[in-house]
Amino acid sequence: MSVPVMTVPGEPPAPVSSAAVRATGLTKVYGSGDTAVLALDGVDVDFARGGFTAIMGPSGSGKSTLMHCLAGLDTATSGQVFLGGTELTRLRDDELTRLRRERVGFVFQAFNLLPVLDARENVVLPMQLAGRRPDPAWFDAVIARLGLRERLRHRPAELSGGQQQRVAIARALLPRPDVVFADEPTGNLDSRAGAEVLDLLRSSVRETGQTVVMVTHDPTAASYADRVVLLADGRLAGEVERPTAASVLDALRGLGG
Amino acid sequence: MLSTTLAGLRAHLPRLVASCLAVVLAVAFVVATLVLNETTRTTVLTAAGAQYVGADAVVTSDDGSSLLDELAVLTALDGVRAVAPEWQTSVQAVAPGRTGAQYLVVGAVADDPALRWQRLADGALPDRPGEVAVSERVGADVGDVLRVTATAADGTETSTAVTVTGVVDLGGDPEAGLYGRAWATPAQAQAWGAVDPTELRIAGRPGTDPQVLADAVATALPGSGLTVRTGTAQAEHRAGSMLGNATALAAVLLVFGTVAVLVAGLVIANTFAVLLAQRTRELALLRCVGATARQVRRGVLVEAALTGLAASVVGVAAGIGLAGAVSALAGGVESPVPLSGLSVPLTAVLAGLAVGTLTTLLAAAAPARAATRVAPLAAMRPLDPAPLRSRPGVVRLVLGLLLLLPGAALLAVGVAVASVFVALPGGVASFLGVVLLAQRALPPVVRAAGGLVARLGGVPARLAAGNATRNPRRTAATATALLIGVTLTTAMVVGTASTRATATAGLAAQYPADVVVEGLSGELPPSLLGRLGDLGGVATGTALTVAQPTGPDGQPWTVYGIDPATAVPTLRSTAETPLPQPGQALLPRWLADSWSVADGDPVPLTLDGRALSLRAGIVDDDAPLLLTTGDLAALAPGAAVGQLWLRLDDSDADVQAAVVDTVTDTVGSVVPDAQVTGVVSLRQQMDEVLDVLLLVVTGLLGVAVVIALIGVGNTLALSVVERRQENGLLRAVGLTRGQLRGLLAWEAVVVSGVAAVLGVVLGGVYGVTGTASVLGMAGEVVVDVPWLQVAAIVVVATVAGLLASVLPARRAARIPPVAALAAG
Repeated sequence: MSVPVMTVPGEPPAPVSSAAVRATGLTKVYGSGDTAVLALDGVDVDFARGGFTAIMGPSGSGKSTLMHCLAGLDTATSGQVFLGGTELTRLRDDELTRLRRERVGFVFQAFNLLPVLDARENVVLPMQLAGRRPDPAWFDAVIARLGLRERLRHRPAELSGGQQQRVAIARALLPRPDVVFADEPTGNLDSRAGAEVLDLLRSSVRETGQTVVMVTHDPTAASYADRVVLLADGRLAGEVERPTAASVLDALRGLGG
Repeated sequence: MLSTTLAGLRAHLPRLVASCLAVVLAVAFVVATLVLNETTRTTVLTAAGAQYVGADAVVTSDDGSSLLDELAVLTALDGVRAVAPEWQTSVQAVAPGRTGAQYLVVGAVADDPALRWQRLADGALPDRPGEVAVSERVGADVGDVLRVTATAADGTETSTAVTVTGVVDLGGDPEAGLYGRAWATPAQAQAWGAVDPTELRIAGRPGTDPQVLADAVATALPGSGLTVRTGTAQAEHRAGSMLGNATALAAVLLVFGTVAVLVAGLVIANTFAVLLAQRTRELALLRCVGATARQVRRGVLVEAALTGLAASVVGVAAGIGLAGAVSALAGGVESPVPLSGLSVPLTAVLAGLAVGTLTTLLAAAAPARAATRVAPLAAMRPLDPAPLRSRPGVVRLVLGLLLLLPGAALLAVGVAVASVFVALPGGVASFLGVVLLAQRALPPVVRAAGGLVARLGGVPARLAAGNATRNPRRTAATATALLIGVTLTTAMVVGTASTRATATAGLAAQYPADVVVEGLSGELPPSLLGRLGDLGGVATGTALTVAQPTGPDGQPWTVYGIDPATAVPTLRSTAETPLPQPGQALLPRWLADSWSVADGDPVPLTLDGRALSLRAGIVDDDAPLLLTTGDLAALAPGAAVGQLWLRLDDSDADVQAAVVDTVTDTVGSVVPDAQVTGVVSLRQQMDEVLDVLLLVVTGLLGVAVVIALIGVGNTLALSVVERRQENGLLRAVGLTRGQLRGLLAWEAVVVSGVAAVLGVVLGGVYGVTGTASVLGMAGEVVVDVPWLQVAAIVVVATVAGLLASVLPARRAARIPPVAALAAG
């Protein structure tokens, strides 16, 4: 059993140059007055370029909220989020939308694809929305890697859960985004399909230097990452470098979760 | 369960408001239609039969013989309060500031107030000899003195100066513009020669049933040669002879009412289905916590009944208010048929309540049945994006075809035999068939239109095209609602335009010359035509010569000579005014019968020793004996000019009326006793009546569009609810708020555009066939499709659909992208 390397919360963030995504003093409050809930409480965190990071924590720890704020899907109450050199927390909705479709990729737990579009149309959707044409060589490479060549004309209803998730990954990778956010990408899959999806995410990090940030509650899924960031009660509660399922489980136990 | 229902009603109040609004509008639509129908009917009757609506019974002489004897009998009859004989005569009158005399038809003012029907625009009715009230056409004001010349039966003329005490508003009486009218006391009217009344108007004692009185009168007057009707029947009789056919008018309104009820029912049904579908999860939850299927169904039905009743009450009030507004609006534009006052029949109120409540209940029945089929587990699952399985559409298809094909055939037969009573059920059946088949036929059309749009409008349009046919049944229902509204509107617009064209053509045929100048003594100076032709506003004219040759029966007959070369450009229509060929004599059938002459037989005419044999051409009964001027000149070389026919330049009725006045003055300065008749105002009034009709239809169109708008909005709102995650996903992967709004706008445009185009086509067919079947009985039907208005309907319907997408789109745009990530 390896000893988890714990970082003290509040340590100065890493230099801008090496971080793909960085948050400082990130706070998110839902509601107001008596019913206010502090979902994130001054989180400082950064995610290295070309790294595969998992965000973990017990239910209600704020891990999903953190990801939403990092990805520009939700607005922070205070604090800053940087994607590369761009400060997301300063952008208006339309600028955020454009940033998402050009520089961020998403893989969700469920309902990842539009039912009226076939697989190919789903894959190129963000680029079409941005009015860009995918590079054909890159498109072919991505489709080949994900094993979707035979499935491009199929509608989502005609695909298995694992296949749907692979289409979603292809969609996320195609615009070569600064970062791919994955929210419980294996949550709805059986273990074999789940492992396949995690392998694909890891190989995209290894082979093309794609930055991936994944929210999960499954220690086995987290063990595919290079680094695990632990969250509890809206605060950073530690990190695990080069995680294994066992070390992640230990770290989670340490949180009392 | 009732408490749950009531709690549900309270909790869903905002959502119910939308549903109630549809019911309110639909009921208001029905009630307003019925009220306006009644008001229009009453107003047309009042206008055309003003002097009869106040009378309980009316006796008319069939052959124009005097009813003086009957007057005495009736005055003594039990139950009769007063009898007003129609003392009618005609005089020549000169108004101040005018040189020409005008022909005035004089009537008497009844002694009994109930039988005084004249509506005063100014002043009072006369109450002593030497006083008259005049119609607006006379052009005299209260206090003016008219010089009246009456000609007795023996030819002696008496001249009287009378004071105008009042001006009478004849409302929409189509004959109001033909000639001036005056009303004097019975004594004055009799002094001017009104001695033999041919019509008696009777007022019964209070509480007398008009029909009973009419029957009593008929029994008291056993002789033949007279007709007894109730006042209303007599008014309808006159309105019928004025407007072509009173039953045709009623039939038009009947068609409108039937279709309105149909539309309302379908729109309510659709709205309720959508609203219940939105609550599938809630109903499933009720089942989860132990409600039986029956309880769920009953809850839904009770909710529907309460909603329907409450909304119907509001709808009835709104409908009456709407009718009042339309009526006031129509009154504001100086319409000749003032929709003055409001006739609210009790049946309209009851029909509104019944239609609203029953339709809501019926509409809820199918969704309520579907609601009982909701598995309790549906409450646990995320909203199922898969459409509800459509029940086998075979029943619908068969039923639709069974209604459409025989219905269309019946409609065709109705058109062929010009019977609205055959065409109406055919039209209703075929339209119901269309509505049933629309469920099946619309989705492929929407899909095709979506494909077209997808090529034009970029990614949002392509997504919208896909979305539009995601739930074919719902799309079909939405499009059908709009289709019905558009069909109805187009049918009315095309129908009105065709009615106008038909009426104008009929008027032109009936009164082919704009102005007719006739010398009472039978002669006009030959130079008069030239002088009138030089007047501004007179386009052209023709002179008719007159002579009195002896016919084959040895009697002298008045014969007119017409010059076809100048008559043809003067006349607006020769449909009912056949012109003679050289060598031909046109004679009315009754004359041909009395002379025992068949078509083409020789007709010998002699005058002062000259003889001429002409070929007989037999025409309608009312026509005069007519030759060409050339032939008449051969018989009577010095034949005088008896009539002048003029055609005026096409322009506004006001301008043309001024021209008629100038003509009257010019004629009067040359031939004081000549009579000038212009039909310009008649044509204008017919136009205005139809304009009012169109205005009423436009008012109803507004309602139809708003209802359709709610329908489209409801469906889109439901899509937004169902596609919350999907829209969140789109936002997450880069669809801007504007693009998301565009997505819904495109979906709305595709659905409403298809409905609008198909509706216009259908409406055109129904409008033309409807007009043909209704007016076909009255004669030739002229079909007129107002393309500009039809195009406007397509644009309005499509834009309405677009507007309907605004609110749901705003709601969709507010969905945070995070919504996609929230599982379930």
